Order: sequence, then structure tokens, then C-alpha cells
Amino acid sequence: MQDGSGRIVVRNLSKSFGHVAAVQNLSFQVEPGSVTGFLGPNGAGKTTALRMMLGLVRPSAGEATIDGEPFERLTNPGRVVGAVLEAQGFHPRRSAINHLRVYAAAMGVADQRAHEVLQLVGLGGAARRGSGVFSLGMKQRLALATALLGDPRVLVLDEPANGLDPEGIAWLRTFLKAYAATGRTVLISSHLLAEIEQTIDQVVIISRGQTMYYGSLEDLRSSQQSRVVVRCSDPTALVKALQEAGIFGLEPLPDGQLAVAGATVEQIGDIATKAQVSLYGVQEQRADLEQLFFRLTSGQWAAPGVPGYAIPGQGYPPQTGYAAPVQPQAGYGAQPGYASQGYAVPAQPPPGYVVPGQPYQAPGYAQPGPATGGWPVPQPPYQAPVQPTSPYQQPVVPQNSPYQQPSPYQPTSPYEQPIAPGQAPVAQPYQPPAVPDQPPVAQPPFVPEQPPVALPQSPAAEQPPTSAETAPAQEAPEIKPLDLPPAPPPPDAAGQDAAGQDSTGQGDKA
Amino acid sequence: MGNLISAEFRKILTTNLWWALMIPTVAVAFFWSLGWSISGIDLDAFRLGTSQLPWSAAALARGFNIAAVFPMVFGGLAFTQEIGNRTITTTFLTGAPRSSVLWAKTITYLVWGLVYGVAIGLMVSLGTAVGSDTGHLPDGSTWLLIVLAGVLMCMLWTLLGLGVGALIGSGIGTLVVLLVYALLVGPLSELILFGVTEGSKLSGFLPNGSANGMTSSTAAEAVLDQLRPILAERGGILEDKAVEDLVWISAGAPGGLTQWVSGLVFLGWTALLFGLGMLRNQRRDIT
Repeated sequence: MQDGSGRIVVRNLSKSFGHVAAVQNLSFQVEPGSVTGFLGPNGAGKTTALRMMLGLVRPSAGEATIDGEPFERLTNPGRVVGAVLEAQGFHPRRSAINHLRVYAAAMGVADQRAHEVLQLVGLGGAARRGSGVFSLGMKQRLALATALLGDPRVLVLDEPANGLDPEGIAWLRTFLKAYAATGRTVLISSHLLAEIEQTIDQVVIISRGQTMYYGSLEDLRSSQQSRVVVRCSDPTALVKALQEAGIFGLEPLPDGQLAVAGATVEQIGDIATKAQVSLYGVQEQRADLEQLFFRLTSGQWAAPGVPGYAIPGQGYPPQTGYAAPVQPQAGYGAQPGYASQGYAVPAQPPPGYVVPGQPYQAPGYAQPGPATGGWPVPQPPYQAPVQPTSPYQQPVVPQNSPYQQPSPYQPTSPYEQPIAPGQAPVAQPYQPPAVPDQPPVAQPPFVPEQPPVALPQSPAAEQPPTSAETAPAQEAPEIKPLDLPPAPPPPDAAGQDAAGQDSTGQGDKA
Repeated sequence: MGNLISAEFRKILTTNLWWALMIPTVAVAFFWSLGWSISGIDLDAFRLGTSQLPWSAAALARGFNIAAVFPMVFGGLAFTQEIGNRTITTTFLTGAPRSSVLWAKTITYLVWGLVYGVAIGLMVSLGTAVGSDTGHLPDGSTWLLIVLAGVLMCMLWTLLGLGVGALIGSGIGTLVVLLVYALLVGPLSELILFGVTEGSKLSGFLPNGSANGMTSSTAAEAVLDQLRPILAERGGILEDKAVEDLVWISAGAPGGLTQWVSGLVFLGWTALLFGLGMLRNQRRDIT
């Protein structure tokens, strides 16, 4: 039975084309009422995964359900899920309106609806033209119109911004947010986080066919910290002074500068003055989501042994990922591991988690295991070069939404956060940077397999999403009618057809 | 299912293929049967007293046999066009399970096979009527039988084309395979097999042979029914077998089986290829 929730559940989905594993063991869940980004670099398996969800590609293993049913078993699927998978699915000589009328018939919706969606996407003026003469952006709009025909509860878009003009992208952004706000589900893929960052609430990041992160964008965003890069006369002295002042987020950069996290420029300036260290340059840097995304998705491709920085006694995982090719600040994300210091992990494993270079079930999410109060330092089965878990303490802020819980499985914050209360890191003497081509001896990344604090776990977090019953609290909200202004017509549509203006006007009334 | 069938009809009617193929279909049907019915008159040159033989039944049959390649092509493009234009993605997204899409296509294309068949039936009748000497026209029941069998043959060819298209996937590949077989390999191999096996009925079991048998065997039998007494009267100038073979060949079905057996055999071939295509399509990854 379709549960009408509009929820997409992907469980252990795998697909191999011959020897090429396009998707490996992918699991995540897309909730109604939110826009979820599906991110990964080119070739990460996004399109294949989307097509498996939509029954177009047969999975080698695992399953995907929409509304609690595999796509094949949806009755009148066009009314349940609309998809924009490519901007090419048109007969070049069939007019736009006829294209929509064909599928309106297939879904059993009135022909009037075809006109409505065409106006909505701003193609009212190009209704009678064959898609063969359409620009890529116009085709994208027509594909979107097709997806919207059945007024579906779920919208899946594969790189929809391709070919859209800035105006169209802005409209799409507003549109998708409004669409989700009515209680519908929107899943949108992209290889550029920046492209959809403004649009999405949740994010699934995959790389090489595996889930790398799954959770709220807010969590991901909150893990980005600023740092201050300092060029000074005596780094050793400054480090000592900073550590005495309780600032431990220190990291020497290969060029001799010092990166300081968890301190303001003013603080550093004051401390340096007191320590009689001259500052030659102070620059505040912020890691943006794109860098984080890059680290998550390309880390495993990078060579290990990027200059790291080992503070004795503090597990310093080699930060290959973050330091990867385009990121000049090698070792930028290096963190003192707090494995031995009472790592304050948030109360429960939230849905957001990250698995570095590992199949998705690895730590926590799939098999959280019983919560123990102890502090085992689990050895991950494979010591990924990327340090995925956040070695620093996340501020544990109890919040209502499980999605807003900081996750222990989140990617490493690029910068160290201020030391949390309860942690008493011993001041470490400054050590010069390690030899660049030799990864520092480090503890394996601390990947807590079990949440150390025994607290009630949310059903969603306890096990991979199995069905809607597991999350009764997440009942789909009532779908509200969508009331949105139509998209501005693309210049190529409006310019060539004077009727475009009139029709758009009608669309407004509709 | 009704929605999907309606969508399939709209797909066909909103593009030009159906009438772009219809033009050569009616032209070929008309001129082919016209040509054969005119040439039938020349057979009187043998002076066998055959001026009243219904030779033009063969013109009806041959017109059908050749014009049937168009509905076959039409069927062959049913899936391959969708795969080529990538509309198959949306088609499968709006119709689940896939089998319901396949059946909607099947029903739709059967109807279109019927449309083509009727059009061909009208044109071959017209061509034959125009070209044939009145004496060579078959009687009404033979005429009707050939046309009905021909319409059915067109529908089966459409389905066969649909199946082959679904099996191969590529439009060009499908067209090449279908046309090369139906126009070249099929007829030639049947003729050769017929000759090599000294007029056996083996050719009638091949796909093209069985299809042609549906129309041509009726024509051949109509001619032979009248030719046999004449030959017997004349004391058997030619050996019966050789004459019969010639009649079957000229009617367009060397080694053809009787009409209804031909129909069953061709139905079997159609079901096989159609079934394979459906299976393939059921499992196809739309990437």
C-alpha cells in the first residue's frame, strides 16, 4: 500500500554495470516538507541512484521506495512522483504542449493542466513549438513542466539548473522551496554544492557510489569554523603563548604560517603582544561548505601523507582529504584527536552521519549497538585517510529536531572549535611540522561506533530507515495547494513569440 | 490502461510518422497490385485458355505482401523512437508497471496495424481493379478472404516489428534488420529453399514465408482450382507439380502453406519475437 507520505527511502542500494560499481550500498531517506540535496562529484553515481529510485534502472541489490512502495508498484506513478532526469526526453518535432498532453493523458489529468504547467515554467509562449528548436534551458523548463503535470507529492530533479539562465535558477530555487513548504518532498541532485546550497535543507553527499554524509545542511554548516592565519616572528613562542591562553586549535602551515582556530584576531593580537611576538600578517579565513563538500567527496582520491601536524598525545589523523589538491592549506583540518580526553558526543546518533571511505553501514548509523557509557576507542576497519568524524567537541545543544543535533558522524570541521568545558586538554608544547611526505603517527580516526552516552535514541537513528512506521512522528504534513507565480519566460521563448506575454498573463490568473 | 492507450495514440497523432509512412504505403500497395494485375494479362500469351483464370488474386496478395513492410516499420519504430528520443524515460515514469506500458503500446499498435491493413486493402483492391482484365479478377469471396487475411497479416507484422524494435532498441538497427529480412533475405532464402528442396513446404514455415502464405496461398489456390481442370482437359501439357510450383511462386509464396496454417505459423513467429522484445524491455535499464 502506498502510504501517501511522499517519503523516499533508499536502502542498501547497489548497482554494477559489468565490473563497474556505480552505486554501492547507498542508504538514506528523504523526508517530505524539505528540499534534500543529493550531492556528489561527476561519476559518483547520483544519476544511477536516482534512476534506480524511479524504477528505470534495476538495482543489483537493495531497494528504494517512494511512498512506501517500489516505483514499479505505484499506481499512476506520475501523480506520485515527478522527475526531471534529463533535458532531452522529447520528440524534437512534437510541440511542447502536445508533449505535455501525451503525458497528461497517461496520468489521466485534464489537458488544461498541460497549459497550466507550461505557463508556470514560463514556456507559455513556446507552446506550439517543437522541442527540437528549444534551447537547453527551455528544455529544462519543459522537463520540469512534465514533472509537475501530475501535481506529484515527490519531485526528483537531476541537475535541473543545467542550462538555466540566472533568472530561471532563481525562480527554480524559490519554486522548489515553496513546493517543499507545502509538505511535498523535493530531491535535487547536483555536483555543485554552491549551486543548490541556497535551496536545500537536507543533504545527502555521495562519492564513488557511497554515502559520505547524510543529514541537515545546518549541521554541515555549523561545523565550519573560521580560523586565523598568522605570520609572525616566532611561531614557537606564539604557540606556547596561545596554548597558555587556552587556545589549542593551532596548526602550522607548510609555508611557515600558523593557523589558529577558536580565537579572534584581536585575541591573537593581544596574546602575541604579551608574548612579544611580532605579527607580520593576520588573516581570517572561513572554510565554506564547498570546501567541506570537496573534502567529503574527493578525500579518498587524494594521496595520503599531506603534511600533517602531530601534537604528541593527540591523535592527528593525516588529513588527506581536506588538504587535497586544490586546497592549498594542507593539513588545514588537522585536529587534535580527543579520543583520550572525553570526547563529548552528542546524545544520540542523529540521522546525519558521515562515513569516510566506508560503506554506509559502517559506524553508528546502521548498527548503532547498545549505548555504553564507556569510552572504547574503536578501531575502524579501515583507517581512512580522511578524518570524517569530528574530533573536536561539538557543542551539545539539545534541540527539538533530530536533524539539528550535531552529529558525531559529521565530517571533521575544518577548524578546531574552542575547547568545550569538561575537556581539559593538557597544553602541548609546540612541535614543528612533521616531515611533509611522512604522515604523522596518529591514532586512527576516532570513529565512535557506539554513542557513548546512553540516551533514548530516535527511532530514525536506531536503524536504517525501513519503513514509514519507524518514524510515526514524521507523518507527512498535509499537502497544501501550491500558489506560485510562473517563471519568467526565457528570453528565447518570449522573444520569438509575441503570444508569450499574453499567455503568461493568463497563467497568473490561473 | 485506458489512460496509457490514450497517451500512446496521442504520441502517434502528434508526430508525422504515421502519415509520412502512410503515403508510401498506399502508393506501393496501389502500384504494386496494379503492376501485377497488368502483368497477369500477359500470361495469356501461353495460350492455355487461361483468360478466365483469377490471376489478379496474386496481384492482391503481392500488393499486400510488399506494402506490409510499412506497418512493420511503423511497429519497429514504436519503441526505438522512444528510446532514441529518450521519451521512454518519461513514458516509464508515467506508467508503472512497465508491462502496462508495453500492453498499452501493443493494443495501440494493433489498432494502427489494422488502420494500415485497411488502407492497404483498399489500395490493392483499387490497383487490382484498375489494372486487371475483368476476366482475371477473382470472385468476391476470394477477394474478401485475401483482404481480410492481408489486414490480419499487417497487424501481425506491426507487432513483430514492435517486438524486434523492443528487442534491438536501436532504431536504425531495427529498420535494417527488418527491411533486409523482409525484402531481401526472406524472399531469396525462401526461393532458394524452395528450389533446393524441390518444391517442399519448408519455406512456408519461415517468418516471411508464413506471412506471405496468408495472402498468397489463397490466391494460388484460387488460380489452381481453375487451372487444374483446364490442364486435365488438355491432357496435361505440363507436369502438374511444375505448374503448381510456378503458380505458387507467381502468387508470391513459394512453398506456402494453406492460409490458416500460414496464419498460425506467422502468429507463432510474431509471438516469439514480440515476447522476446517485451522481456528485453521489461529488464532494460534506462540510463
